[in-house]
Amino acid sequence: MNDAVLELVSVCKHFPTRGIASRGKVVHAMDDVSFTLGRGESLALVGESGSGKTTTASVITRIYEKTSGSLTIDGEELRPFRDREDALRHRKKVQMIFQDPFGSLNPTHTIREILERPFLIHKLASGKDELEGRLVEILEQVGLTPAEDYLRRYPHELSGGQRQRVNIARTFAVEPRIVLADEPTSMLDVSIRMGIMNMMLGLKETRGVSYLYITHDLAGARYMCSRIAVMYAGMIMEIGPTDEVIARAGHPYVELLKEASPSPESGFSRRKMPARGEIPSLIDPPAGCRFHPRCPKATAECSRAVPAMRDLGGGHFARCIRAG
Amino acid sequence: MDGNTMLELIDLRAGYDTVRGFVRAVDGVNLRLKSGEFLGIAGESGCGKSTLAYAIMGLLRDQARVESGAILFKGRDLVRASAEEWKQLRWTGMAMVFQSAMNALNPVLSVGEQLVDAIHAHRKVSEAEARAMAVEMLALVDINGDRLKSYPHQLSGGMRQRVMIAMALILKPDLLVMDEPTTALDVVVQRSIIEKIAELREKLGFSVIFITHDLSLLVEISDTLAVMYAGKVCEYGPARGLFDGPLHPYSRGLMNSFPSLTGPITRMGGIEGRTPELLALPPGCRFAPRCPEAVERCREAEPALLPAGADRSCACWLHGETR
Repeated sequence: MNDAVLELVSVCKHFPTRGIASRGKVVHAMDDVSFTLGRGESLALVGESGSGKTTTASVITRIYEKTSGSLTIDGEELRPFRDREDALRHRKKVQMIFQDPFGSLNPTHTIREILERPFLIHKLASGKDELEGRLVEILEQVGLTPAEDYLRRYPHELSGGQRQRVNIARTFAVEPRIVLADEPTSMLDVSIRMGIMNMMLGLKETRGVSYLYITHDLAGARYMCSRIAVMYAGMIMEIGPTDEVIARAGHPYVELLKEASPSPESGFSRRKMPARGEIPSLIDPPAGCRFHPRCPKATAECSRAVPAMRDLGGGHFARCIRAG
Repeated sequence: MDGNTMLELIDLRAGYDTVRGFVRAVDGVNLRLKSGEFLGIAGESGCGKSTLAYAIMGLLRDQARVESGAILFKGRDLVRASAEEWKQLRWTGMAMVFQSAMNALNPVLSVGEQLVDAIHAHRKVSEAEARAMAVEMLALVDINGDRLKSYPHQLSGGMRQRVMIAMALILKPDLLVMDEPTTALDVVVQRSIIEKIAELREKLGFSVIFITHDLSLLVEISDTLAVMYAGKVCEYGPARGLFDGPLHPYSRGLMNSFPSLTGPITRMGGIEGRTPELLALPPGCRFAPRCPEAVERCREAEPALLPAGADRSCACWLHGETR
């Protein structure tokens, strides 16, 4: 894809284990993860805890270095940082919004000090007046007005929603190309989540960024993103246009996730859950398809080899030998 | 009160003594729960839903207390119950599953020891009988009897939550109070827990009070629903009816905060503003500062929770049939 801002090809991330019993083994947190993120596109990475979605984000921000595979931004392969300049260049392109609005702001700094940092570090404002203008502008864009009023305050004086808005303002301060949003609303009260989501959609339009939106909530992913990738036990099981994936899931795990999601429209009619059990150990992941021990449709073949992604047409792929 | 009523809250006020004064987290709540009923209580952080659960279970301690009102459990007022009476009542009459149930188990005792302890505290049975009861209860929540020897850290979060449910139900209580029992769990595990509760309720016939912020989930599983805001019930009624036609602007705003999985994608608004501080409540209706429909009257006087059609009630000057 030519206008891909971000491309991952078979990226793996393995962590060494420290336990006595598992010495020398690795945690397969992320295996064979491939996807592209287009310019101005929003892609949802959906999965349960332990599925590898946050590891994927951390590898892209380079909090962790990948174990293998290829990771390119604007067609440029990422190499280990040689110096601070390298790291800064990467961070100017890729920014992350964290889940916890309470833990991600320094409590001893005012909002001004918090928001000034990216401008100073990346030398994005010349002179005091320009900096002041940029601070006011960015706060207004995230809906914190009057801006002067907020600049004086400390994080503890703000509500969770306001704090998350400050986080988002900080993220957008450097005018990144890619924003990784790791469950940005899951720790907020339900009534203010939509406000944050709508603001993020608006920022995407005006700033032209690409979002990788990480969530466990299928319905929220549908609201925010045109494409969706579902992860399970460190691998992408299905990827494609959001409504295609939800309406015509090609992988039994996606079917399970769909069935499990709350859906008041359909009422509680004792659903037939297509599978039971929980995510397997990533130290010794099941051979073959990682979902096969739980899959109601599994056959002997499923445990033999990891299934390849099958093309279901229209950019919709599923990692299941029965798909299509 | 008819014989069918399991629990009745009458003008219940409860809260916390602080240096700044008494924070009335539950402020005049009236609710009735029939035998076998599944009541969902929805609300955001700070609305008083957990304080309400703790008050019902008699677990308010130290700075926390019931200020006034009555909690009638099968006709008996628990607010005036002695410590000895409570000891008799908890676990056998009513039991609770906490939000952090994953951490509520004692890490240095096996699951079996903890279950047997609970039984021995209330029933004079032999060790073998207690063990048999424990195995039977674990089987009901789909956990193999071998797991009696397991320690909490050897179980997944979902299994620990199911152990907690087994423990709450082991002495066959009439009422199960659950405070955000699935919030910390993944959707698939959450679904299996909820199915399990529904199935056990059919089998054992207990009543449930299920507290969560997740209205979309509550609508699916509850018979009746109470929506709380800033310490008060603002709307009450059958879950289905409340979902199909919420009356209170806050209920409507909450409903409008959950994107749909299958329906058409519409721009959803959520609710502007934030919940008020309980020590600095606005005059009039507590929701008025955030309410898109508020008129002058809403900012002057507080609306009471009044009947609004069949089995429903609503605390709003503008909505509800009796206005």
